Amino acid sequence: MQSSSILLLSIFSLIVVSPLFWLVRPHRFRHFGWIAAIPPALITGWLFSQMGAIAEGRPVTVAIDWVPQFGLQLSFMLDGLALLFGLIIAGIGTAVALYTGYYFEHNPRQGYFYSLLFLFMASMLGIVWSDNLLTLFIFWEGTSITSYLLIAFNDEDPNAVAGGRRAFIMTAAGGLAMLFGMIILGSNAGTYSISGILQTPNLAATPYFSAAVGLILLGAFTKSAQFPFHFWLPGAMAAPTPASAYLHSATMVKAGVYLLARMHPALSDSPIWFWTLLIVGGITMLLGAITALRYYDMKAILAYATVSQLGVLVFLLAFSSEYAYIAVVVGILAHALYKGPLFLVAGIIDHATGTRDLRRLSGMLSAMPLLGVTAALALISMAGIPPLFGFLAKETLLESAFHYMEHNGALGWGLILAAVVVGLFFVGIALTLLWEIFLRKPADVHGTAPVQHAPSLSFMLGPAALVTAGTAIPFALPWMSHNVFGPAASSIGGEALEAHLALWHGFTPVFLTSLAAIALGALVFALRERIRAALTSLPRNLTGVFIFDKVIYGIYDLAKLSTRIVQGGTLASQASVVMLAAVAVLGVTLYRTNWATDLPIDWTNLASISEIILALLAAIAAYVTVIARTRLNAIISIGVVGITVTLFYVFFSAPDLALTQLLVDALTVVLLVLVFYRIPPANLPPITTFTRLRNLIVSLGAGALGVFLVLYSIGEPFSPRIADYFLLNSSGAAHGANIVNVILVDFRGFDTMGEITVLAIAAVGGYALLRSIRLRSQPINLRPEPDEPAEKE
Amino acid sequence: MPELYLRLLDRVLTPILFIVALFLFLRGHNAPGGGFIAGLVAAAAFMLQILSRGDDYVREHFGRYLHPLTGIGLLCAATAALIGLSHGSFFTSVWITFHIGALEIEQGTPALFDLGVMLVVISVVTSFLLGLSKRDEDPGL
Repeated sequence: MQSSSILLLSIFSLIVVSPLFWLVRPHRFRHFGWIAAIPPALITGWLFSQMGAIAEGRPVTVAIDWVPQFGLQLSFMLDGLALLFGLIIAGIGTAVALYTGYYFEHNPRQGYFYSLLFLFMASMLGIVWSDNLLTLFIFWEGTSITSYLLIAFNDEDPNAVAGGRRAFIMTAAGGLAMLFGMIILGSNAGTYSISGILQTPNLAATPYFSAAVGLILLGAFTKSAQFPFHFWLPGAMAAPTPASAYLHSATMVKAGVYLLARMHPALSDSPIWFWTLLIVGGITMLLGAITALRYYDMKAILAYATVSQLGVLVFLLAFSSEYAYIAVVVGILAHALYKGPLFLVAGIIDHATGTRDLRRLSGMLSAMPLLGVTAALALISMAGIPPLFGFLAKETLLESAFHYMEHNGALGWGLILAAVVVGLFFVGIALTLLWEIFLRKPADVHGTAPVQHAPSLSFMLGPAALVTAGTAIPFALPWMSHNVFGPAASSIGGEALEAHLALWHGFTPVFLTSLAAIALGALVFALRERIRAALTSLPRNLTGVFIFDKVIYGIYDLAKLSTRIVQGGTLASQASVVMLAAVAVLGVTLYRTNWATDLPIDWTNLASISEIILALLAAIAAYVTVIARTRLNAIISIGVVGITVTLFYVFFSAPDLALTQLLVDALTVVLLVLVFYRIPPANLPPITTFTRLRNLIVSLGAGALGVFLVLYSIGEPFSPRIADYFLLNSSGAAHGANIVNVILVDFRGFDTMGEITVLAIAAVGGYALLRSIRLRSQPINLRPEPDEPAEKE
Repeated sequence: MPELYLRLLDRVLTPILFIVALFLFLRGHNAPGGGFIAGLVAAAAFMLQILSRGDDYVREHFGRYLHPLTGIGLLCAATAALIGLSHGSFFTSVWITFHIGALEIEQGTPALFDLGVMLVVISVVTSFLLGLSKRDEDPGL
């Protein structure tokens, strides 16, 4: 089979597999994880086989027209960057799929989780393999939705639901901004193909280029949890751990980084690119690294460290240097290979002891040696201690900063300082986790949680395999540089690059700085209790969650207020609002009409005797309705009004309208009887003077509006071409002699489709409304209790 | 509130109303009628049932079909529109002529669309009638 068809097949097979995993109810099988791991493992294997060709600069491409009218093409391209991300998504996906089976053992919702996981995997692969901006956007939203569903997986936990909603609103709003940016970019370039846009010359000179860049950055920043949107990521930790490890550490949050890297050759020419990425990335990496120590929940700490690492990647993408490209590529892979397993380890510890709280954990290395070694290797990598993979990531980061410093001294030193601060806090976080969870003796911890449920070997295999891969990579650097890092960096740079990575460069300034960061990190570890105390004393009002909730609940309150004004009180007052609004809006137009010149009305031949009689009949019936003493009389006389209108239609030879009017009238009368039957008779309060006055104004206004609208429609002749067109084509092209019906179902079929859809929605709404009357004893509360998600203090 | 005389009338009238509905639906393309009107007439038949036999009777026998029927109606309409997609664009009407002996019947996607309209109208109006005629045990409502 051709490589290009396998590319498409990988994504579609995951989509097909997704519901199947739900249907087989996998919680019944003890070792289902091994079966679930097969599809991503196959994709990983296939990606490895494509490595050689891609390293030689021959990407795999495939394109199918989807909606050609909109320039929407299902086109995919597997180049160096897409390969790197594909390997991370499929490779870590394999480990997570295996892990999930054991994490959710005997849980009936395991199948649901698997189906979301595989849908997510398909969307994520779609993002990184798309060669079309619009296709990319669709998959992008796919990840937002699956992420929302996965965060709110425990749908009875208000924290999970609130966290999911925050994450979804942030990423979806960013995604919409990004779509606008993409449309500007696409219409300027004349193509939505990504490779086409990257090759468009002088894109930076096109109109609104900066706006497009800004909007796309907004999408990338919200997705990758950059300051000031970072707060959704720690809130997303309410998700089950496999989802946290996979989506919110290894893959989805890197989608923003991916987009920046992918569009780097085209967009980095923009003047706002460098400074925005530098400042936002810089703030994010410092903020995440420093605040991580505030928390005691292992997942919360890892989440803030992830925010920091994402900041580092965005920060690096600000530069347009070979060093930075290599650093981004190495950073992405190193982070995926240590943070992913750390999350999985957190899940295993939670599973085994029932807590993730650092204050209650101790001695896990002796209790679970394999897990302990796995976590220790991952943490040493995170700390950036040689010879582990994380060390390389830190080296390349510092190297890019040093390289920049040679161009721009003062700023360069600042950047080196920022990188060192982040590095030393990473060391401090890693050492804290290593010591408090794994090394210290249980006797030293008050109320320590013992291992109650030892994990099986297969449960630990996923994280162990990932850590093994991460540990092995520094010893296979020439091969990795040639096959993975080099091609991926070339995609970011937009030109062929060779990566030259080595563990040992001699005592360069970079190496010495790296050592200094490790030494200072040990100091952070020693002072961790003081740092925690200082961070905890910061005011809560500054957190993004607090501000976001204020805004969202402000919108809810505004909606409530406007609903109370417009739709409060009695039916009559609601109807008054609607009618007065119509009178006001239409009245302006009618008032501006010059009746004498624009609308010549023939006043002489206005009405025949029979029409006048009908009109009088309708007026009398309407009057009787108002003065009727009993409801039944009122309903009957309003029916008479309807019948009179029907007679009008008969006079003007409109049989379809007459039939419809008659039927609607009959049904309405019965409906009214049914409704009034429910209302107790003595429920009417006396009418106040204000109500009388209001009723008078509304009635006069509505009546006058009706009269003038009719006059207006008489004066304004219809365009005869439309009527002629219908008459001409009705029996010929549309095979129907009844023009009214042909218009309804054929000429204006789209309108009718909309109308019956509205009708169906109204039925559902009415059904819900009539049911909710019975549910009213339980008030709906949109607002969960005040909380601080993912934090157990 | 089942009424005796209405129940007697209903036996005669209900089939007639349904036949009239079918008649209006079938001739709708060439003479006054059509899916919307036919749907209203059929809903009137259900209304008669509600008045004569009580809403519980109707709800018990037809209630569970109403929401699926709305969906089927929308599906018919959407299918009719989508068939057009294969013949040019969304909503392009497609006509097929059947020959049964000497009889020549011409049917097309607008008829399917009209059927969808009728089903939606019947189910929506009937579900409103049923919803509003429901009386609760709780007198406060």
